[in-house]
Amino acid sequence: MKFDCIIIGGGISGLTAGIRCVKEGLHTAIISSGMSALHFSSGSIDVLGYINNKVVYKPFEALDTLTGTIAQHPYAKCGKALIVEALQFFKQECETQNVYLFDNENLNHFHVTALGTLKPTYFSQRSVFNEDVYNRFKSMKKIVIVNFEGYRDFHPQLAAAQLSKHALFANCEIIAKSIDMPQLQDLTRHPHEYRSIDIARIFENEENVYRIADAIRLAAEGADFVVIPAFMGIHNFNQIHNILQSRTRLLIYEIPTLPPSILGLRIDNALKSRFAQLGGVYIAGDKVVRAESSNDVVQAVYTANHPENPLEAKFYILSTGSFFSGGMISEFNNMYEPVFKLKLHYEPERNKWYSPQFFYSNSHPFLEYGVVTDENLRPYDSKNNIIQNVYCSGAILAHYNPIREGCGSGVAISTAYKAANQIISLYKLMR
Amino acid sequence: MRTIETEVIVIGGGATGCGVLRDCTLRGIKAVLIEKNDIASGTTGRNHGLLHSGARYAVKDLESATECINENRILKKIAWHCIEPTGGLFVTLPEDDPTYHNRLLESCKFAGIDAKEISVKKALATEPNLNPNILSAIWVPDGTIDPFRLASANILDSVERGATVLTHTEVERIMLKQNQVAGVQCYDKVAKEYFEVYAPIIVNASGVWGQHICQTAGIELKMFPSKGSMVIIDYRINNVVVNRCRVPSDGDIIVPGDTVSLIGTTSRKISYDKIDELVVDDDEIEVLLADGEKLIPNVSKARVLRAYCGVRPLVAVSGEMDGREISRGVVLIDHKERDNVQGLITIAGGKLMTYRLMAEMTTDLVAKKLGNTSRCLTHKIPLPGSEKRVGYTKKIKYFSGIPNSVVGSTHYRHGERVHNILSLQKRNYGLICECEMVTLGEVEYAIKNLKVKDLVDLRRRTRIGMGPCQGELCAYRAAGLFTEFGEFTPDTSTKLLKDFLEERFKGMKPVLWGDGLREFEFTYWIYQGLFGLGLVEEEEK
Amino acid sequence: MIKLENISFDHCIKCTVCTIYCPVARVTHLYPGPKQSGPDTERLRIKNPQLLDISLKYCSNCKRCEIACPSDVKIADIIQTAKWRYSKKEFRIRDFLLSRTDLMGTFGTIFSPIVNFFTHLGIVKYFLDLVFQIPKGRTFPNYASMTFRKWFKEARKYQNKYLEKVVYFHGCYVNYNYPQLGKDVVKVLNALGKGVIITKEKCCGVPLIANGYIKKAQSHGRHNIRVLSRALPHEQARIVSASSSCSLALKHEYPNLLELDNTPIANNIAYITQYVLEEFEKGNIPNLKPLKYTVAYHSPCHLERMGNVAFTIELLRKIPGLTVKILHSECCGISGTYGFKNEYYAISQAVGSELFKIIEEASPDFVVTDCETCKWQIEMNTKYTVVHPISLLAEAIE
Repeated sequence: MKFDCIIIGGGISGLTAGIRCVKEGLHTAIISSGMSALHFSSGSIDVLGYINNKVVYKPFEALDTLTGTIAQHPYAKCGKALIVEALQFFKQECETQNVYLFDNENLNHFHVTALGTLKPTYFSQRSVFNEDVYNRFKSMKKIVIVNFEGYRDFHPQLAAAQLSKHALFANCEIIAKSIDMPQLQDLTRHPHEYRSIDIARIFENEENVYRIADAIRLAAEGADFVVIPAFMGIHNFNQIHNILQSRTRLLIYEIPTLPPSILGLRIDNALKSRFAQLGGVYIAGDKVVRAESSNDVVQAVYTANHPENPLEAKFYILSTGSFFSGGMISEFNNMYEPVFKLKLHYEPERNKWYSPQFFYSNSHPFLEYGVVTDENLRPYDSKNNIIQNVYCSGAILAHYNPIREGCGSGVAISTAYKAANQIISLYKLMR
Repeated sequence: MRTIETEVIVIGGGATGCGVLRDCTLRGIKAVLIEKNDIASGTTGRNHGLLHSGARYAVKDLESATECINENRILKKIAWHCIEPTGGLFVTLPEDDPTYHNRLLESCKFAGIDAKEISVKKALATEPNLNPNILSAIWVPDGTIDPFRLASANILDSVERGATVLTHTEVERIMLKQNQVAGVQCYDKVAKEYFEVYAPIIVNASGVWGQHICQTAGIELKMFPSKGSMVIIDYRINNVVVNRCRVPSDGDIIVPGDTVSLIGTTSRKISYDKIDELVVDDDEIEVLLADGEKLIPNVSKARVLRAYCGVRPLVAVSGEMDGREISRGVVLIDHKERDNVQGLITIAGGKLMTYRLMAEMTTDLVAKKLGNTSRCLTHKIPLPGSEKRVGYTKKIKYFSGIPNSVVGSTHYRHGERVHNILSLQKRNYGLICECEMVTLGEVEYAIKNLKVKDLVDLRRRTRIGMGPCQGELCAYRAAGLFTEFGEFTPDTSTKLLKDFLEERFKGMKPVLWGDGLREFEFTYWIYQGLFGLGLVEEEEK
Repeated sequence: MIKLENISFDHCIKCTVCTIYCPVARVTHLYPGPKQSGPDTERLRIKNPQLLDISLKYCSNCKRCEIACPSDVKIADIIQTAKWRYSKKEFRIRDFLLSRTDLMGTFGTIFSPIVNFFTHLGIVKYFLDLVFQIPKGRTFPNYASMTFRKWFKEARKYQNKYLEKVVYFHGCYVNYNYPQLGKDVVKVLNALGKGVIITKEKCCGVPLIANGYIKKAQSHGRHNIRVLSRALPHEQARIVSASSSCSLALKHEYPNLLELDNTPIANNIAYITQYVLEEFEKGNIPNLKPLKYTVAYHSPCHLERMGNVAFTIELLRKIPGLTVKILHSECCGISGTYGFKNEYYAISQAVGSELFKIIEEASPDFVVTDCETCKWQIEMNTKYTVVHPISLLAEAIE
């Protein structure tokens, strides 16, 4: 098959780039090997949460500090203006699929984690954080954290204890509750082996939402703020959120849970259906295994399912993610990028990949390993030549630590946007 | 200050200490066991879990070999639920000395070990993943033994019969009254308080740490610690113990232990001051994997789950300091004879296999000192869980309605005690650890009955977090249950979770590549990225 | 003792993503889901086969878990293999008959009017339900009065006028039940200037695998690999199939499940839409008249697993005048013979309900899909006719 642009990797970065390309009229395909890391994410979009382990409140102002110290940081290659534009683009595209993102006018806000810590983020889904919560966050008197009997992946007591330590809630009563919905038990598998997805499906039935709302109302009397694990549906989340709140007359919000992440799944669904709606070709469950190139220009790629049939394109975007997603492979004493065999930034000695402790202030070095690119996000091959028609975006890029800096999704979106921009302008020139 | 009075204090919760406690209890002697960490957290829990047939010692050390085969037969009776009689093979590779094969056969015969030569074809049929290029093979009655289960079953029995067990309690010093021991001064690390235990007899069963214990009583005892490292493979690449038919050396044995396989071991001298900070060296891993692959080629394709090491307690018998007279056998010292300290006994050396025999020897001496004439019964009375022998199939029928995988795994770990753990109540058999099929009921049982003080202890009792994901999902699930079932505050649970992940990471670090690195990235992403667990302390400040 | 060959379970990092995409676990509490039935308990089954949790029989082998898996774990293959490797096979006459599509086909076509009459009778359905545990709600597809192979005897005569030849694996369904699809394939290939070769093929083995007849499936597989490779006119020649499940078997199940060496044909097999699209892209496009339909395209699970859905969609988009609505990817629930068994019937219907709903919402002129069993399921449960993409193309060819 022939395309204008082939994107390798169908996560948040690949999909963002894909939507941008299709919108500009490029015949675009995304090849995705397995479901994306969005399925394990918080479902909030972090732009820049920490510098030197200190919380960042004004991410765009802090960007200069960050790129000042790390010159090769992907954000440095994007530039502030483009980052702002990319985030706005992302927000609007999600809205077309009814996923509404809250942002606090260029400021970070905090979302509550399942352990009761507060994490700075930039965009949150409206069921996680919005103007109502923002306005009342500091004056809350009673927070009730509610779990569903049988759900193993959330312990409200731990979250309550941790949250109450926070200075913000010094005068606030925080209690943990568990609600039992015996009439729902037969709807799914072992009633004590629920995963988030099972309960989210229960919410998809409107009658169940009413029952759940009544149970929550009983459990959370007098609360300013009710927190439940992110269960509020996979497709009809806006409606479910409205019903829950109007029926209980309480502010009810979600927090991200152990995988699978319903919040992430919603964004994944939104981006995929947007891409398909615009006419993009999404090839799921296949993996690019090799590429054919001549004179530093990639001609075609071959996949595991079709080792003999080339997929050809004028441009390629590599957004295959980090080690977890298979973007990079680590071996006993070696690391490599499997598709184009690109030049990587990494330490060859294995004992330098990690830090002495699991939780270490400087995180782990391997998270910063990745593909080295030029200013335009074009990678180098093993002979140090720039590959002319390939661009890289997202977690495959080197020189940033998505967890320590709290910038994973921001980098994914910005670099995808930048890569797509360049392809689009070249494409228009060619026409 | 809290004080306890008893007849015997056993220092050290390794297999030997647990064995002594049980032996004393069965003879009606009141005893208290004090362990500074958890049961089986030292050398006992850090070996390859081989149920020796004795064949590994047959050529060099006939006495040990005979002891092993005798104990092998006893343990199969009294502790079948801690044991899997897999059988074992000694295989000769093309590069090995072919004459060792016959020497081994003859020595086994001499030691009374039922070893027999089998054809290469039969060996490959018995263990299909074996290197097909082997030249010859010998079958021996090797098996596997779970040291955590074994130690824990001894403790459980003792406690049920009235003994006292104090884990996470450090012995600060042995108190003497002239030449007679009076008791010990202890520190409870969980409650953070000092207390004293008084007894006329103290058994120092603290293995390599025994040097330090003796020092607190002013006695010189020299240990020569030797480090042994092992790597764990994600799943069972073999179902039969595979030994290399040569003079015992590094990387020459692969033991299937529960759901995993272990490649063992290296042997390196270390200095005494390093015994609490053991590190697996990178080159040890290279040796183990390279040699393991020679026995079972699949080793090169499999995920290495973790690496760990233990320290062998080799003792200088006569108190000479040059280490020439190091014994690899059992060392039982009556310090009255040696150092004129009445009431202090040190039991050291030996091996996991002979723990019961060592306990018997020690308790005989204890009994003699106390004027107790009861006979040892530990070779006759089965451990809790091993009372009746009922196979998987029957159990699975009994618990119809609960999946085989759950019943089988619980039965495998707790033997007959499966009845105390599983119930047809659905909540009870909901899975917490999905890799090792650990149910909510099992976690509850362990927290309430098996002296579990933290998630690491829970892991030793239940295998929670020992599967491929190393606690990625179950650690959080189980942490919350500490608050639910035990006297743990939510903050403690959160702290236990953090400590557990740090402990798991220690064993993952040396083997952090391939799928192991992917798994770790995912786990780190969950606990730091999604949960912000690393932020917990900073927020406290 | 088990020889460890398929060790892909070792790559599972317990991310749980497969549990989201399993259609069976979504609708029934009887199935613990692909993670637990696949990689999790595989480690236990290696330790002791008695630890087999029998609930894995509910897996319908749709393979959506494999598509979802970011770690390349062959989850469905692990489960299928475990079904026959670790559990005792009980002989059931129903499973035997359901899996012998060729035997039943030969019988069915000879007596087609009688068989078709009887299989639609309420009393016969009642009897099948009672005796064979085949649900009353199911209707067997009609048998044709003349097999495709018999028809092809005539058609074979003019295949020699084409210089280039393509081997066509028609499968049992085309031969016994729906020769028209085979005729359409021949028409399309001829229009592209290709002659058609058919071989003495046997059933691809998919129903045999599903019912645990592994040895039989292996012998069919070996036969097919042999006859197909011999029939290849030259090394690069193509073997096409218009059945997504047959193609998947030839390409994927033979090496991965049946442990057969399919290298003599592996690189020659192409699902039909892929082959036709390639020809189109080379400029080999026959004259196409516009088709003024609005169709809803349903992507079969096994076609998705093969990574061929994009080819079909691209090809449909090349038919002038046609409006294609791509349905959200959902399993139809029938999964071959799975939905023809009483114990799975309710699950099968519950899985499919999502798809039936979105088909009704799309309200097309008719539904297009590549898979014969999806076709039965949709036709039994909606008011829409289901057409194969190649039949549409054949209609457009002047």
